[in-house]
Amino acid sequence: MGMHGDFLQLLKEQGYTLGVPTAAAAGHTLTNATTILAFKYRDGVLVAGDRRATAGNMVMYDRTDKVLEIDRHSVLAIAGVPATAYEMVRVLEHSFKYYRRTQLQELSFDGKLRAVSKLLKDNVPAALAGTGAVVPVFAGYDLEQGSAKIYFYDILGAEFEGAEYAVSGSGSPTIRGILHYVNTWGEQPLGALPEEQALVQALRLLTSAAEFDSATGGVNREASLYPIIKLITGAGVQTVPDATLKPLFESQVVRYV
Amino acid sequence: MYEEPDRWVEAVGNRRQYLDEQFKQGSPVVALTYDGGILLATVSKGTPKLYEIYDRLAIGGMGHPTDLEKLRFSFLEMAHVEGFNRSPSDVTGSRLVKYGIAPVIKQAFEEVYKAPFIVRILVAELGQKPEKDALLTINYDGTFEETTGRAVLAATPAVQTKMMSYLKEQGPVTLSLEQALDLALRAWAIGSLAHQQEETDQQAEAQPPASGAGLAAAAIPSADALMAHVSGIAGGRTIECAVLDRQAPGTSKYRSLKPAELSRLLPKSLQSIVVS
Repeated sequence: MGMHGDFLQLLKEQGYTLGVPTAAAAGHTLTNATTILAFKYRDGVLVAGDRRATAGNMVMYDRTDKVLEIDRHSVLAIAGVPATAYEMVRVLEHSFKYYRRTQLQELSFDGKLRAVSKLLKDNVPAALAGTGAVVPVFAGYDLEQGSAKIYFYDILGAEFEGAEYAVSGSGSPTIRGILHYVNTWGEQPLGALPEEQALVQALRLLTSAAEFDSATGGVNREASLYPIIKLITGAGVQTVPDATLKPLFESQVVRYV
Repeated sequence: MYEEPDRWVEAVGNRRQYLDEQFKQGSPVVALTYDGGILLATVSKGTPKLYEIYDRLAIGGMGHPTDLEKLRFSFLEMAHVEGFNRSPSDVTGSRLVKYGIAPVIKQAFEEVYKAPFIVRILVAELGQKPEKDALLTINYDGTFEETTGRAVLAATPAVQTKMMSYLKEQGPVTLSLEQALDLALRAWAIGSLAHQQEETDQQAEAQPPASGAGLAAAAIPSADALMAHVSGIAGGRTIECAVLDRQAPGTSKYRSLKPAELSRLLPKSLQSIVVS
């Protein structure tokens, strides 16, 4: 019943199903592959994603937004099949709002994590059939505990906490090593970085991923295409405008050799 | 008992009488547009009477809390399912009321073997532009009215008219939130005083009328007197205010005014009531 504030249950009662398992047709390449990352910095958590969507060796689109705001204090970064991922985001967005409005209180951070898990679990048949695998990173600010949190998932819905950082997508193996190195032996751990340095770090990481992964779009300066970067602090989610990223990229990421 | 048509009409008439009786103790609700959105205000006795429904929709209610709660859930379910299946911009107050809630209330009202909903509901919708702001009121029999600028809920049509004409006297000036709150509370006091007046009039019917009673009822009290009435009553209750704020970040525009913000906006004479 709707009285429990469960929006997904309400949809199901009306005949809705999330992942319909359909075997991928032979010779048909689905859009996937990407790089998304999240790490904690001094004021909260930074979430970033490149903007390329590919199908096989085809670039489908270069203005994809893979870092999606679900509510004022949480963000889902998506890697995998976009059709399913966007649908999940829409379900989550409505679920959190529906819970808050019916129950007259905010859904707890743990409750939000469970909601992501449940959706992924519902989606397992489609993920295994090859048409709907999604591997997201969920990041947010837990207002009750006053701290930033990062979680990553596998396609079956298992949730893992990323104490300092999390990555996902085809370009992630490259930067996972970098994150470990920087966080352990860098001048200061990621968690101590002020906002500007965190942004520079994110731009460098995505540029590195694009260097080694053809399915990750780097920065395209000719077209003024910068990654999507969102910062989540106690004050809420904030999208970093291109106007801020451009000078940082030009002064601290590009190397004129 | 009600098989014959004229008996049914009689039964519906009885229902009206019964329902009118139920709202007498109720607290009026006022909705006003201001320069930044729409303000909803009432003075409640414990259970809240103002609620968020969707990104740009809010309701205020009078009547039985359980009935209001039932209909609130219907509103929420319809709005969210529609917003998910189509898009948030397809969720409009007018569609929810006309094709969703009003028919349900009307049916319950006319099924004389079952209990009717003891509610009056005010729906406020924040448009994409100020001129698209809309207000709707639904009565316990399912009839609804669409207005713009201002709307009220009160125990009887006579009181509603009184409150509305008080609001209209203020002219079409654009109000700040502070001014809108001040005006809304004065209009609430007009309604609350009129409720009390009707009560005493009814009791007095049996006895010979006191001289000058009619005159007192006709005069509109001064702003100070109205505010004094609010502070007299609000002491043991809660001044409940919510806004649909056009400038609010994100998609959800509803915000209930917390004591800190409310006391900053209220006239001086009322500030101490909110803080305590």
